[in-house]
Amino acid sequence: MNERMLADLFNHLETVVMERLDDGSFRLVGCVPNWFKRFYPEAVSRKEGLRLQDNSPFLENFCIDAESFWVGKGAGRLKSGTFIEMDPLGDEYAMEASALCSREKKILLIELLGTAYEDRKAVLQKARENVLFREYLEEEVCRRTAKIRLREEEIALRLVWATESRDKDTGAHIRRIGLYSEALAKALGWEPQQADDIRIAASMHDIGKIGIPDKILSKAGKLTSEEFEIMKKHTEIGAKILEGSDIPLLQMAKEIALGHHEKWDGSGYPRGLTGKAIPESARIVAIGDVYDALVHSRIYKPAKPEANALVTMTHGNGKHFDPKIFECFLRILPTFRIIRQEFHGTETMLYLERPQMTLFRRP
Amino acid sequence: MIKKKICMLGAFAVGKTSLVKRFVKGIFSDKYLSSVGVKIDKKKVIIEQQEVDLLLWDIHGEDEFQKVQRSYLRGSSGYFLVVDGARRATLNTAFTLQKRTEETIGKVPFVLIFNKWDLKDEWEIDDKTMDDLSKDGLMVVKTSAKSGQGVEEAFLTLTREILEA
Repeated sequence: MNERMLADLFNHLETVVMERLDDGSFRLVGCVPNWFKRFYPEAVSRKEGLRLQDNSPFLENFCIDAESFWVGKGAGRLKSGTFIEMDPLGDEYAMEASALCSREKKILLIELLGTAYEDRKAVLQKARENVLFREYLEEEVCRRTAKIRLREEEIALRLVWATESRDKDTGAHIRRIGLYSEALAKALGWEPQQADDIRIAASMHDIGKIGIPDKILSKAGKLTSEEFEIMKKHTEIGAKILEGSDIPLLQMAKEIALGHHEKWDGSGYPRGLTGKAIPESARIVAIGDVYDALVHSRIYKPAKPEANALVTMTHGNGKHFDPKIFECFLRILPTFRIIRQEFHGTETMLYLERPQMTLFRRP
Repeated sequence: MIKKKICMLGAFAVGKTSLVKRFVKGIFSDKYLSSVGVKIDKKKVIIEQQEVDLLLWDIHGEDEFQKVQRSYLRGSSGYFLVVDGARRATLNTAFTLQKRTEETIGKVPFVLIFNKWDLKDEWEIDDKTMDDLSKDGLMVVKTSAKSGQGVEEAFLTLTREILEA
């Protein structure tokens, strides 16, 4: 192969071959491609080796790895990864350096990536634009889902409001039941979405009271057994109001409305379910509802000190309450106390808060 | 003349190249051009009458297609972690890179840049998150490579920190 052919070949390959000299400089081997002369015009005439490191911080850095590679007589090639150099005219060139050992010589190759670089860049550009578009779509879905969620919440709020305008329970009580239930659900390892659902669904637990006559609902004294039988119907009325929806939040609300007076030992109502046959959501709400009723006053009873309330509730563990959830309740009792402190009011009726429509927002 | 190497690190499309272009050349383009590989720019700054030559290593964005090679970080006096305020996930990438950088070159000064301030209305990262990071002792700067807001401040802040380190 004559020298001219070799020069053509080197130009075609767009690769510079250099041998690393003992003084740290590089001696060109074979012909120098034209593009390389833009960066090192002295490359052809220069007798002594080139000090690439002085002109290129990238190569200076790569040479540290290359030295280790040469000393270790590494097999194959050590590649630098793509780097961009700018010629004196401001044009950018993408290159890649490689270190290799050949017949005891330390060889450095610098390859002009040219179209291969442009192709790779185009592929990456497309891939990244796709990722950005996917991220945008996901964000859009989240935004719209949140909007739907707000509408669901508002519908739920209006339903609760309709009940509460007839009941003696307070807005603060409703809010607390939601937050207690959410805290318990989270502590039990529920998914965030479900925990969020129970915060709202729990507030609708007594929605069936809308169907109970005023004389029973508003009675200050003890209910007769007949009246109590009618009162018990609020669970089924609530379930009837909420049933048949394909909205998970309302499905859960139905479970709670129907099941929050069921007891672990089967002595509850309306169906006398036992243990895990009672939906977990209803078992959760039962604990929060009883706790809140005990530690707060009502027009027909004074509030109990928390310690007394806990004694009462402990008697119900395994009878009224699911032991696993009760244990969890005791563990996160400080959270219940914080919720009580933040929403301690008993006087504000929910309907007074109606215009704000923010009842179910977290504190 | 003092020379200092600074790396630009972050997820893809957070604006690393745009920040360098804005700082070095004072220009900006709205078109997103994905970076492949490493490009080094130089910029001279004067801090308290001291000239400092900054070598700005604009390293391709980290994603599933390209990883930042540890050897690129060697010799850095400081680095920027660039986050796109409108993409929360880029903050996680920044922290991953910060961890890897610290494992590679030890503790050196860095500035957390929340870029694209001009698109503030679309941001997913709120002021509280940024304030909390500041309270945790991180240097946080909000920038817009588009308008230039905060860009000079970010580079000068990091340079000062490097000189004081």
